[in-house]
Amino acid sequence: MIHRSYMIAIRINRQFLRDRRFLALSLIVPFLLMLLMKYIFDSLPGLVRLGVHISDYAIMVAAYLVFFIAYVLSAIVLVRDRAIGTLSRMFVCGYRRREIVIGYIAGYSTIASIQTAEVLLLTRYLFDVHLLSAIVPVLLTMLSLAVVSVGLGLFISNFARNEGQVFPFIPLVAVPAALLSGIAIPVADLPRTLQWLSYLVPLRYAADVLREVLIRNGSFLNVLTPFFTLIAFGVLLVSLASLTLKEGE
Amino acid sequence: MNTVDTGPAVPGAPAAISVTGLFKSYGPIKALDGANLEVPEGMVYGLVGPNGSGKSTLIKAICGILKPDAGSVSVLGMDAARERFAVRRQLGYMPQTSSLYEDLSPEENLRFFDGAHEQPGSRERIRETLKLVQLWDRRNDPLHTFSGGMRQRASLACALLHDPRLLVLDEPTAGVDPTLRQDFWQHFHDLCQRGRTIFLSTNQMDEAMRCHRVAVIMGGGILIAEAPQAIRDRGTTTVTLELADGPRTFELSDYPVELPRLLSRFGLQPDVRRISVQQQSLEDVILDMIAGEE
Repeated sequence: MIHRSYMIAIRINRQFLRDRRFLALSLIVPFLLMLLMKYIFDSLPGLVRLGVHISDYAIMVAAYLVFFIAYVLSAIVLVRDRAIGTLSRMFVCGYRRREIVIGYIAGYSTIASIQTAEVLLLTRYLFDVHLLSAIVPVLLTMLSLAVVSVGLGLFISNFARNEGQVFPFIPLVAVPAALLSGIAIPVADLPRTLQWLSYLVPLRYAADVLREVLIRNGSFLNVLTPFFTLIAFGVLLVSLASLTLKEGE
Repeated sequence: MNTVDTGPAVPGAPAAISVTGLFKSYGPIKALDGANLEVPEGMVYGLVGPNGSGKSTLIKAICGILKPDAGSVSVLGMDAARERFAVRRQLGYMPQTSSLYEDLSPEENLRFFDGAHEQPGSRERIRETLKLVQLWDRRNDPLHTFSGGMRQRASLACALLHDPRLLVLDEPTAGVDPTLRQDFWQHFHDLCQRGRTIFLSTNQMDEAMRCHRVAVIMGGGILIAEAPQAIRDRGTTTVTLELADGPRTFELSDYPVELPRLLSRFGLQPDVRRISVQQQSLEDVILDMIAGEE
């Protein structure tokens, strides 16, 4: 079973390596976005007087980018597999649902890991955030977040017949993730109902961990609850994705 | 193109495919409307019918990638839905569209899909399969540089690679040039000689003539399933006898039975100077049947 998931992961990575334009874009886009953020914040010195530190946001935005890209990409690619018939062919050749979902997660985790490494380097050198002391929890959190995003993308792909139908689902996930995760607005400042809703946003738990270990310089042990909640979301979404993956029409 | 023998139909042999009362609707459209079909093992079995008659839907149901609304499909003695994993080990499927990864080469595609089988094909087997479909020289080029017919060939190679007991092919020769088409058919019959079963859909009547048996599908139901020559014999045959006082034309509806009767009426008198027999083509017979159904 592991062998077959591995075959899928290798295939996905081979396709990425072959698609030079895509590869370049997926590395340039996070770079440009973080550069843009740096430029905007630097041109607004009033923010510092308000107590807003750009470096506090950098890692959150980095996490958001990794989450968003992995989510959209995996949803679109699985829908394409369904549309062109390669998914059916995989099933007839003997690949099983669980093997396919795990294979896709492994395949995309490679891409997500490269992007994570990139955004962490940008956070370090563009925003001068010192990550090294907390590098293990940061990497673990980012990787778990990537698994959550791919699981969510694969699950969402069940609701789309073609690539175009994926698009309505992008803001459906992206906007609540931005507003309710505590990245832009502290969760404590939200109305009570939205605070409850924020428990359903996996990115919130990643933000909780990153805030504690990077901004407050706290111990990873203080945030084990949100960390394991994030892992639980990952397990839940991966199971959901493999249970709902339809073998046929 | 000649007809082939009526096939190795062993009485009592287990059915490779057995479809009973199959229904499938897509909204208001009935893709399958109570289809029944029995494909004996060791045959080249053709499925013909107009576009939208339910060919691909039936094929997908046989491969277990389509959930019928009602009815049952059994493949090699196993339930196509419940025992699909066991069925798939012995099944090769070629979908109507190429359904391979465009950014990968034929060899990479073959290795990837074949990798799911319990015993993936050897390097030698991949070579021989790609040579058969005449893609060995292009084995390392990405599929998006290929023509439609070449993609079709790569797709067929993918279905053949693990030498399955049952091959289910959805229009395998669409877009393939005539010479290679002959080779494919030769190969189908070779496989059949080795005990494999080939179930394929086609739009080409000359190909239908090369099947041991043909099922005609229309409106999601099977109209008739017989040897192609037997179907053809159901059509009208025009027999012209040139007698001393000029030609006389007869329209026979069941020519193998009626022609001897006709001849016995005239006897073998020196009067009959020439006999010309014009049998309706399989295509015309099937088109008439379909028209009758509409």
